[in-house]
Amino acid sequence: MKWSFNFLRGSADDQRIENLKGLSLFKRLTARELRELDELLHERSYQKDEVIFDEGDTGLGLFIVLSGRVKIVSSHAALQRLAPEFGPGDCFGELALFEEEQRTARAVALEPTQVLALFRSEFVSLLERDRGIGVKILFELSRTVVWRSRKLLANEPHLPTV
Amino acid sequence: MRNKPEPGILTWGVIIVVTGLILYLFERILWLVVPGLLALVGYYCLQPLVQALVRAGLKHRTAGKVVTGLLFLVTVLGVILLLSLATTRAAGWQAVTAHYVQGGLDFLGKTEAQLGEKLPLMKRSALVQSTPTNLDAAAGQFVEKYLGRLLLQMIYWLPSLLLVPYLTYFILQDGNRFKKHMIRSVPNAFFEKTLLLFDRVDRSLQSYLIGMVKLTFLDTACLGLGLWLLGISYPILLGLIAAVLAWLPYVGSLAGCVLVVMVAATDFPNELVTIYGCMVLFLCVRLLDDFVFLPLTVGRSLRFHPVLSVLMLFLGAAVAGPAGLLLVLPVLGVVAVITETLGQVLTDERLRKRYRHARQLQRTMAEVG
Repeated sequence: MKWSFNFLRGSADDQRIENLKGLSLFKRLTARELRELDELLHERSYQKDEVIFDEGDTGLGLFIVLSGRVKIVSSHAALQRLAPEFGPGDCFGELALFEEEQRTARAVALEPTQVLALFRSEFVSLLERDRGIGVKILFELSRTVVWRSRKLLANEPHLPTV
Repeated sequence: MRNKPEPGILTWGVIIVVTGLILYLFERILWLVVPGLLALVGYYCLQPLVQALVRAGLKHRTAGKVVTGLLFLVTVLGVILLLSLATTRAAGWQAVTAHYVQGGLDFLGKTEAQLGEKLPLMKRSALVQSTPTNLDAAAGQFVEKYLGRLLLQMIYWLPSLLLVPYLTYFILQDGNRFKKHMIRSVPNAFFEKTLLLFDRVDRSLQSYLIGMVKLTFLDTACLGLGLWLLGISYPILLGLIAAVLAWLPYVGSLAGCVLVVMVAATDFPNELVTIYGCMVLFLCVRLLDDFVFLPLTVGRSLRFHPVLSVLMLFLGAAVAGPAGLLLVLPVLGVVAVITETLGQVLTDERLRKRYRHARQLQRTMAEVG
């Protein structure tokens, strides 16, 4: 997947919108909704071994990997086993969208990596003005959280399942 | 949510000094600061409209152009109307102002005379003895001196006001893109904190500026209704002027009250009940402002301890005159948010360590490459 985000040329070009549509988190959004969401996304590039966020940092937003790989290192063994690595299309740090709590893991770029960041406060303002977009993103996020919770429970047989 | 550490005395010292410096600079470029501030108000007011058009299917740039095109049209029409009114009715305005200034001074003289009758000490006051003879001359001088100057000031400010839709257009079109560019230039280690800083400044400014606009509407409605019930001339216009004057903290409300009392004293020179009724109305609206409207509109954004607010008003007035009075609290609020957040970032050893690590990685890559 080739990403060429040049904000001077206008962020809402068709190719960019197509690329966003290819991300599982945004697959339910229409082109118009993606254009609106695009205004809120921040693209960042990290070098190999660069820390994206650290365990104990205050979580302020969600990250989506566009290219490269991200390693997760946590002092909580269960979390470490849950998702040790993320690749293109994966999102991480999603709990920061719901509450301003400390990060429970460290995220490090394993190779030159590009990510998109969605800041909680901007996401909340989007939810307030366009609930349709919010519902679609939250639905996909919930699926991710549910899938990760099931995986966590499967690895921890002593925990009760509901 | 984790509690933010309270800024210390050194941080507050920095905040106050920086606020003073910014006010000094702003006073020098007031012709640009005023339209800039009005453009920000316009941006916050029009942003929901642009977003609604985007939701209706328009591209962001097109929606921005449509909305600012309308704003430009309204501003040009408003300026033309104001100019034509000012040129044709200037003489009439001067006569009306002189009439009301005279009425206000008559009321002052009458009140002083009544006080002198009841309080013998006041009778010997030089002011009471000299007032009746000086009133006519004072009213004439006041109108000659200030009304002409006021009209000239209005004409002087018109070109600056035409900048408002132009600046609003660029903030609406490219404000977000410019913000994203600025954030992109920030090192990765400080990225999230920078987003937080932008968000805090944006929220503080938005809630303050939009809150003030809402408050002005509410004050105008309450004062206009009250003055209309009391039978005062031009109730809505007077309510609006008093509400705008109230943007100047503390002194503005007093100035608004004096203005309305002047009009009431001229309209009803022998009805003290009406004049005192105006004062009571102002007091009631002031109380409503403090306990109901302000918490509903401006909320707690840019609100400081009253002692600090008063001290800063003195500082603002000393550094930048009336403009300083008006701008000191919003500037103080923004500087406080920026300084607090920068303080948190610069004193966070983890972030600095991460930044140094990234720089080291960059150097290693450059050497290997």
